[in-house]
Parts: sequence; structure tokens; C-alpha cells
Amino acid sequence: MSANSESTYVPAEVVRVVVLEKHLHARPAGQLAQAAARHQPNTIELIAGDRRVNARSVLAVMGLGAVRGSEVRVIVAGADAVAVADEVVEILQSPETDT
Amino acid sequence: MVGIVLISHSSGLAEGTAELVGQIAGSTRVVPAGGTDDGRLGTSTDRIAAAIAVADTGDGVLLIPDLGSSVLSALALLADLDPLATGKQVLIADAPFVEGAVAAGVAAGSGLDLVAVARAAEEARDVRKL
Repeated sequence: MSANSESTYVPAEVVRVVVLEKHLHARPAGQLAQAAARHQPNTIELIAGDRRVNARSVLAVMGLGAVRGSEVRVIVAGADAVAVADEVVEILQSPETDT
Repeated sequence: MVGIVLISHSSGLAEGTAELVGQIAGSTRVVPAGGTDDGRLGTSTDRIAAAIAVADTGDGVLLIPDLGSSVLSALALLADLDPLATGKQVLIADAPFVEGAVAAGVAAGSGLDLVAVARAAEEARDVRKL
């Protein structure tokens, strides 16, 4: 327990789970990689099946092979973890075309 | 924003890849330089030089060649550039063409600098798609 009870609680890590309604296509993979770059030094990792990747690599995100119905675990670490995790979940859930 | 020039023997391949990068990466400056001046398969240093001029907004340009003489033409152009005199920063990516272009486009669209964009392209060598 910290002696400083006034300090704002910052979670070390935020975990969210999303079940994909669409395949994780190239375009949302690009959006995830750009979000990862924009929100540095927060880190975004995605887990699907037995793969765990850093979202900063668009190719690694595509390599997850996360098809419709997959469970994707989102792990965000950093000072803005909650807001960043919200954004990641929104990208994963957004309806989009077939790219 | 870092500009990207896609150098291919085939104008169709360069243009199609640029189109794909635009779809995935959003607003980026990706300029195709494919084929010869008279529309045949091959590479043209004039077309590449013109593409570099279009791609360059002052933050540097990454050249992504497909293979063979695309690489040699890119190297020849780079050797002729005088970065101190022209202020142009140009690098060549040692990367697979489509995957490297997509990774570089996403990185450039994120506002990363030239070295980081080149690194993103080259990391494409090691990423499995299955």
C-alpha cells in the first residue's frame, strides 16, 4: 500500500477481450498500427490463438490470422492505457468493407 | 511526412501496390515508378527521379525496389544524389515489395521519421503471414 493516498491510480495494464464480428482485415490492421505509433510510449499487444504481437507492426497484426468469431485479447500498458484500450476495441469492432 | 517511391519493372505492379498502400495506410505520399518511359517492362531512372521529386515534401524519401534492375537503378540514383547540396534525404529499403510498402506506408502515415519508416519496411522480411 502506498503511503501517498492522494496519487492517482494508474493501472499498469488494461486487458480487454473482443470477439470479432469481421475478419481482422488489412485496413483495421493499419489503423491499429497507426494508433500504436500515435500513442507511444503506451504499448498495445494483441493475442489471438497462440500468437501474441505488438500492434505497431501492421504485418504482424495481419499475421494473427484473426478471422470472424476469433477472440482477440487486447493488452495495453502505459499512462493512457484505458483510453488507448477503448480506441483499440473500437477499431476491432468497427464495421468495415472487405479490404 | 516521409514519401515513398515504389520501383518496379511493371507499372501495373507499382501502381497497384501504391493503391493498396493507400487503402491500408490512409493519407500517405506513395508514388509509383514502374516500367519504362515507353510503357514496356523495365526500369527508368528518369521516372524514378521524377517520382522522388513528387514524393519529397522535405522529410525524406524511401525507395522500395522490387528486384533486379529496380534495385540497381535505385542504387545508381542514390549514388548520384548529393544530399549535402540538394538537401534530399533518400534511403533504399531492403524489403519485400508489397509487405515492405504496406509497412512503410503505415509508418509514414503515423508521422514516423525516415529511418523509422525504413526500419518498418525492413522488418517485413521477418514477419510471417501464416
